[in-house]
This record gives sequence, structure tokens and C-alpha cells, in this order.
Amino acid sequence: MLPKKLLLKRSCPLIMQIAEFHRKPRWLPVAKSKIYRIPKRPEISEEERLELLRINNNYKTQMRAIRRFYHEEMIKEKSSLESASSEMSQKLEAEEWERCVQINEQWNKQVAAEREERRKIELAAMEEYALKRMEAKDKELQERILKASEKIKREKELSSTFITPDNLEAAIDHALANPVDYNFAIDLKGNIISGRDTQIPKPEKTQATV
Amino acid sequence: MPLPPASGTGRYFAKAAKSIRLIRHGCTNRPFFHISVTHRRRPNSLPVIEQLGSYDPMPNMDNEKLVALNLERIKYWLGHGAHVTTPVAELLGLAGFFPIHPRSYMTAWRNRRTQRENLAEAEKEAESKKE
Repeated sequence: MLPKKLLLKRSCPLIMQIAEFHRKPRWLPVAKSKIYRIPKRPEISEEERLELLRINNNYKTQMRAIRRFYHEEMIKEKSSLESASSEMSQKLEAEEWERCVQINEQWNKQVAAEREERRKIELAAMEEYALKRMEAKDKELQERILKASEKIKREKELSSTFITPDNLEAAIDHALANPVDYNFAIDLKGNIISGRDTQIPKPEKTQATV
Repeated sequence: MPLPPASGTGRYFAKAAKSIRLIRHGCTNRPFFHISVTHRRRPNSLPVIEQLGSYDPMPNMDNEKLVALNLERIKYWLGHGAHVTTPVAELLGLAGFFPIHPRSYMTAWRNRRTQRENLAEAEKEAESKKE
């Protein structure tokens, strides 16, 4: 078989026959098991055959009429197209063209007016939107500045307690003088006893002697 | 190889016989057809001269088989003497563009006959079970 690409590229009408589906090639013989198989002819009763013959004849007649009608119509259209190039029809065509141009201009004007109106509305909406956004941005900035200034104020207040190189010695002395023990113990009642070396007060032995 | 385009890029020879036929464009187990004009001796795998419509033989969710037809172009090609294959003629008959095709009548009465026979058989079985 020829490759399909070659068939598509060819420059003359196709004369050979191609099996559309992937079937056995034409030149292969009948299969061994099918050599003596005779396909059964369809059984059509006499009544059905006559009826089919009748409706087929009718159909063919009607189709011939339809075909002839469309063929004649085609010929008529062709002849009318040929006569359309006369002077009279050219004049008529020019008039029609003029009329169409006028209508087109009118429509264009109308559309332009509508567009202008729409553009104005759109521009106003855009401006409003931009102003709103700018305002929102301003507001946000103000809030951020306020927050920052508050933070600065707080830090300034706190800065009096910072340890600086000047009072470093004093701070060290202070820390050494007052050691803090963060260890603590807790009993079942939730009492907190701070310090590692604190003595636990002993409970009174009133019930234990019983 | 991809299928040829539906819009009709096939080579055209004015004097060669044309045929209006169904060309299968679906996938496996999903048939879909284009109604196209090609040369009568041309295989369906080649580009067509023009597509005239489509036919979806699988019923959709509203139980409809959709057919689209470009009747103006069909008239044009009929005027130029294009042949119409039987399946397309049947479709056009059901669309009211042609007379109803004899094969449509035949399938209809054969289907009706088998239905009648099936019904009679079922009745017979029901009677035999009663006895």
C-alpha cells in the first residue's frame, strides 16, 4: 500500500481504490475456513417486494423532479448573474451603494454619540474609584504613622531604665547585691514556695496522732 | 495522521462526479458524521470540497439526534448534479427536504413486525406458564 502522505500530496485525481479501514489487503485469497461458505440470501416476501418496488419507483420519480428543479434554478441564477452586468443594473447598484453609505454614516454617528456618553460615564466612575483608593491609602498611611509615633513614645519612656556604659558598673553591683532565685516548688494546694533553699513549713500534727 | 479539515480544502475538479455523503469524524465507540461534498471516487480520509452539515447519531440527554444542514449549499450542489448517498438521502427525507426514502419506510415496517412478533411470543409464554 502507498503511504497516505503521498496520496495527499499527489497532483492528479485518484484512480486507485483504498480500503478505508484496516482490513485484509485486496489481493489476499479467501480464508480456508470460509471457502465453501455460501452466504444466505435475504428472504423477501412477494408482497414486500412489490411494495418496495412501488415506493422505490415513486421515490425515483420524485427525486428526478427535484433534481431537475434545482438544476433549472441553477441555470436561471447563472443567466441572471450574467445580465446583472448591464448598464441599467450598474446604475441601480450605484444608487443602492449610495443609500447604503448614507445609512452607514447615520449609524456611525449614532454609535459615536452613544460611545461618547458611555465614555464619559466610564471616566467619571474611574475617577471616583481612583479618588476612593487614594483616600484609603492616605488613611492607612496616617494610621501607620500614628502607630509608629506611639511606639517611639513608649520606647523613649522605657529608655530611662536601659543599662548604658555609664551605669554598667552600678547595674552589675546591684545585680550581685540582690541575687534572684527563680526556682520554686508547688504543693497540692497550689501554694508556691519560691527559692531553692527555703524551708518548707511543716504541717501541724493534730490528726496524725489519732 | 490527523483528519482533514472540515471546511473544505480538498482539490476540486469541475467535471468529476460529486457525492454528498456522511464522513465519520468520531472516535472509537463515539460516531460523529460530517455531511460533506467530495468527489465520488475519493476515499473519506481525504480533504472534502465542502462541508454541508453534521449528524450526531448518539441521542443526547434530551433523547435527540442532532442534524445540522446547510440547505442553501445542498441546493447548489444538487443543481450542479451531485449524487446523494442513501444515508444522507434518508436524513434529508426525515428533514422534509426530500421525499421520505424507501429504506426509512422499510426499516420502520420491519421494526414494527419484529415488535409484533416479540409481543406475540411473550403472550404465548405467559399463557403456557398459566397452564
